[in-house]
Amino acid sequence: MPESKLSVEGIRKEFPLAQGGGTGTLQVIGGIDLDVAENEFLTIIGPSGCGKTTLLKIIASLVAPDAGCVRVNGRVVTEPGAERAMVFQSFGLFPWKTVLDNVRFPLVTRRVPTAEATERAMTYLHKVGLERFADSHPHQLSGGMQQRVGLARALATEPDILLMDEPFGAIDAQTRELMQEELMRLWQETRKTVVFVTHDLDEAVLLADRVLLLSPGPGRVRRIVPVELPRPRWEYDVRAHPDFAPLRAELWSALRGDLLADQQSGVAS
Amino acid sequence: MTAVADAPVRPARTPPHRRRSARRAVPHLVFLAALLVAWQLAAQLLEPIVLPSVDAVAAAFVDLVLTGELPLALAQSILLLVLGLGIASAVGLGFGILIGRSQVAHWTLSPYFSALFVIPTVALVPIVLIWFGFGMTGRVIIVVLAAVVPILLSVASSLRDEPGELVEVARSFGVRGELALLRTVRLRAAVPVIMSGLRLAVGRAVVGMAVAETYLRLGGIGGLIRDYGSLFQTDYVFAAILPLSLLGVGLSALVGVLERHYQGWRS
Repeated sequence: MPESKLSVEGIRKEFPLAQGGGTGTLQVIGGIDLDVAENEFLTIIGPSGCGKTTLLKIIASLVAPDAGCVRVNGRVVTEPGAERAMVFQSFGLFPWKTVLDNVRFPLVTRRVPTAEATERAMTYLHKVGLERFADSHPHQLSGGMQQRVGLARALATEPDILLMDEPFGAIDAQTRELMQEELMRLWQETRKTVVFVTHDLDEAVLLADRVLLLSPGPGRVRRIVPVELPRPRWEYDVRAHPDFAPLRAELWSALRGDLLADQQSGVAS
Repeated sequence: MTAVADAPVRPARTPPHRRRSARRAVPHLVFLAALLVAWQLAAQLLEPIVLPSVDAVAAAFVDLVLTGELPLALAQSILLLVLGLGIASAVGLGFGILIGRSQVAHWTLSPYFSALFVIPTVALVPIVLIWFGFGMTGRVIIVVLAAVVPILLSVASSLRDEPGELVEVARSFGVRGELALLRTVRLRAAVPVIMSGLRLAVGRAVVGMAVAETYLRLGGIGGLIRDYGSLFQTDYVFAAILPLSLLGVGLSALVGVLERHYQGWRS
């Protein structure tokens, strides 16, 4: 494997348990080590409560881990930086800003000159097919279009690593398939390293170079499955490929076991 | 706020405001005319000291304008309102941010402001009078005390709940520090609530103004009303009440302009 673009070393995270006024803590992530190579597309999947979103937020330096560290290009990072950009589950657009101002926001914050910021924002709005809507406000757009704005905003910062937190989870099924295809095209074109959290098994396999399966609370690396389906994957029906079903079955049996075990422990406690 | 369906979308639209407001004006004017006719008829039956006729009020109004009494009083009142509301906004914003962002400040300070909110402004007049005298300072302080709490409470309560993931969005894209987050996200997301607080504050400020002008040294519109009231010149009293209510309406309209500036995207 080439040198790792992103590495996660011994990450642990607990949250205080507020329920019932108790003083206990809930361990969400119980020691995760992970290396992501340059240009790799890694998807993270796991039962709800396995800490996959928390892991992504730790990688984004939005949440501080209790132990361990995150390295980007070999350097330890503790603050959000321009080399990582996040796409949020419920889009995270500022409703009072226009589409253009939303995409320009990270650039303006980082003091990119206005003319250059506008040009870059328009370039990426064009890439997602929304330059006509630059002056609209987010509420005038559909969910799929709003997430395209979210994607354009992240890409316009020209990051090395794109962090995506269930970005298509709030989008209807047909639009989601289009967005997946669009994302693959953009990824092929811009060659980013992507860490993509999802709860959709098909989506995890469809997009990934490797699928990381997390075990439930506290989250640990359960299994890493390489996906060697040929690319570009929008040129054929991936789900009909002979390798797809066995991959999906392998992941599902592991996931299913964890889900059942989790349910039983939930009943027992 | 978020569109759900993937329906075709219009990039912009301009609603036909004008025709609608014209259609609304007609019943408005008809009702006003009926009201004035009823008033005029009732005035024929009652003593002028109880209810002066419409034309007497109109004449009194013209007289007040021509003698310069009303313009001067209006200027004094507007100055008092602007000063009072300005200071109330600054104080309300400052303490609102403090109470909204610090649990300790919330626990220790909130009860006092809640108490201030329910005390009638008139009840504070003797204390302000003793501490600050009859002058402008005392009058401004009355207006501030009347208006500050709705602004403060609206700022504090809207800052206490997080505006969803937007704070995280801002942090992830390079906004650093509590002050920058307040400016770029928290306060901006709180604008609708703060505006309704401001609306409430304007109403209370006008009441505070009238109280200050009648109970402290006479002056402004409140002073006019008190003066003519004690002379039982009811037509002049009515003529002075009219601009007072217009002042309140005008200020509310100003808040409306602010609202449209910050929330124009909603329409």
